[in-house]
Amino acid sequence: MKRPKIAFFDFACCEGCQLQVANIGEPLLEILERIDVVEFREVMSEKWDGPLDVAIVEGSITNQHALDRIKQIRERAAVLVAYGSCATIGGVNGIKNSFDLEDIRRYVYHADYRLFPTAKTRAIHQAVPVDYSVNGCPVNIPEFVDVLKAILLGLPYEVPDYAVCVECKLNENVCMYDRGVTCLGPVTRAGCNSWCINNGNICYGCRGLVSNPNTKGAQEVLRKYRIPEDLLLKKMEMYNMCRELDKNEQT
Amino acid sequence: MKDAQYSVLRKEQFDGFISRLSKLQRVVAPVARGYNNYSFEEVSSGNGISLKYIPTILPPKKYFMPQRETLLEFDTGRGLNSEAVVECEKMTIFGIHTCDLAGIQCLNMVFTERPRDYNYLMHKRKINIIGLECNEYCDEYASCALVNASTPSGGYDLFFTDLGDRFIVHINTQIGENIIESTKFFESAGKSDLEDLTELRAGKRTLFTKEVPVEPRYIPELFDRSYNSKVWDELGERCLACGNCTLVCPTCYCFDIKDEMDLGLKSGRRNRIWDSCQLESFARVAGGENFRKERSLRQKHRYYRKFRYPVEKFSRFFCTGCGRCSRTCMAGIKLKDTLNLLIEEFEETVSTLMEGNY
Repeated sequence: MKRPKIAFFDFACCEGCQLQVANIGEPLLEILERIDVVEFREVMSEKWDGPLDVAIVEGSITNQHALDRIKQIRERAAVLVAYGSCATIGGVNGIKNSFDLEDIRRYVYHADYRLFPTAKTRAIHQAVPVDYSVNGCPVNIPEFVDVLKAILLGLPYEVPDYAVCVECKLNENVCMYDRGVTCLGPVTRAGCNSWCINNGNICYGCRGLVSNPNTKGAQEVLRKYRIPEDLLLKKMEMYNMCRELDKNEQT
Repeated sequence: MKDAQYSVLRKEQFDGFISRLSKLQRVVAPVARGYNNYSFEEVSSGNGISLKYIPTILPPKKYFMPQRETLLEFDTGRGLNSEAVVECEKMTIFGIHTCDLAGIQCLNMVFTERPRDYNYLMHKRKINIIGLECNEYCDEYASCALVNASTPSGGYDLFFTDLGDRFIVHINTQIGENIIESTKFFESAGKSDLEDLTELRAGKRTLFTKEVPVEPRYIPELFDRSYNSKVWDELGERCLACGNCTLVCPTCYCFDIKDEMDLGLKSGRRNRIWDSCQLESFARVAGGENFRKERSLRQKHRYYRKFRYPVEKFSRFFCTGCGRCSRTCMAGIKLKDTLNLLIEEFEETVSTLMEGNY
């Protein structure tokens, strides 16, 4: 099989998810035997203007310039991968959507704010069609490799649509709620192998919420553990504000 | 009780026994994880073992049917070569409570049905089982007396009962006998040891009483009459569908099969991984149809899989009363409460019928 031409692109993000690729270590050599990386700003100088088999896109769409650019990338790429939380669910950039755009622009850019046009933060799928998603902040490398293999095989990849708790139980972690700590695992999509909790941290909800959360039931749980609803909503907002845009489209 | 079937291990010898055994083979036992959580972990001495523990996060089924397990390795490079795989090693599990022994007995029945599950059976053949008696209830979530799992009824090689300064040990199999002989810390049991055991068991009969006011033999009928109960809707409203209740259950065995390719895309592995009927995707089939889309239906299914369907198929409940599902549920769905609600509802219906107010 011919090695597919793959390019990495970034929009509003910290580029940490791309750095994860550079961090793969030795298995990266085997991956590079299978793919032809033609553009990857973080690790190489070469550029590519031609058609692409796969575009891997990190970051969210936050202004008109970004929207134009992602549309061009989409046109050039046979397969488009939303890569990381900013791309798949809007991520922390979505916090902007909680504020008045004019106010927030003034707050960030002060006197010169008019030079920096902005728009509501969007996840990639809220701007152009997406073929594959690698969720997470940062992405979990084993999952990225799974997605890459699915692309090479021409198979779909389903991001699990159940709670992180499932993987957390399989890993037999002590539940954070037993430790008296609020964790977003019960409402967050799995697929990370409960990476954070395995390492003693809570789940921050970086993979987005399960598609059919039991909101009423969750409120009961908050009451049971005496957690203020406001606190949990704020925790969810850190990564999940762009979810509002999906909701609006549905109605 | 025949004396020859019993040995005694002095408490001061316990550490030595575990150390010796762990040099002969891998030994796992309940270990404290903090916040009143325990799990079966590898040990090399008796000191790290929690002799008083509430049921572990995951039951010992994780050794018989690991959370993730390779069943097959394949290579499509030249033709299709595939080879069945069983990765298991000889080990002893120490300290299994009677509820979890019952759980293993249930799984044995399931996996010896044809077609047999050779991976499970191979694990089982390599695992020695040492039970440990509960002298008192672990906590309020347990309902082991209801399902007759509060006292031992087989399913082990050795069974330890704590008699204060010593353990009295029931030897149930030749493997158990071999463990006693190869470790050399045991004394033969005397009359007073057996009397103490009899006394303890007598005391347990008054301490452990059925935790829900229903005769176990009527439970299948109760469930037959509760299929359209509103109790299931209430559970559905509270359930978060996190799957915790089934993942920690000692008798749940549903799994998914996933193929994992190597990067070369020619060779790979076929793995099985625990699945759960509580997850929305579990009963979804091609075309998007979902046979149990509602959380209420999924919760109902779980209860029928413990108290109704296996009675038909295996003539026993598949609830062992360990209480894990209640303990782990974020939404506070408790098995004893559910049974109580079903009983109350049933009694109301009966009394309404009796009064002719229907």
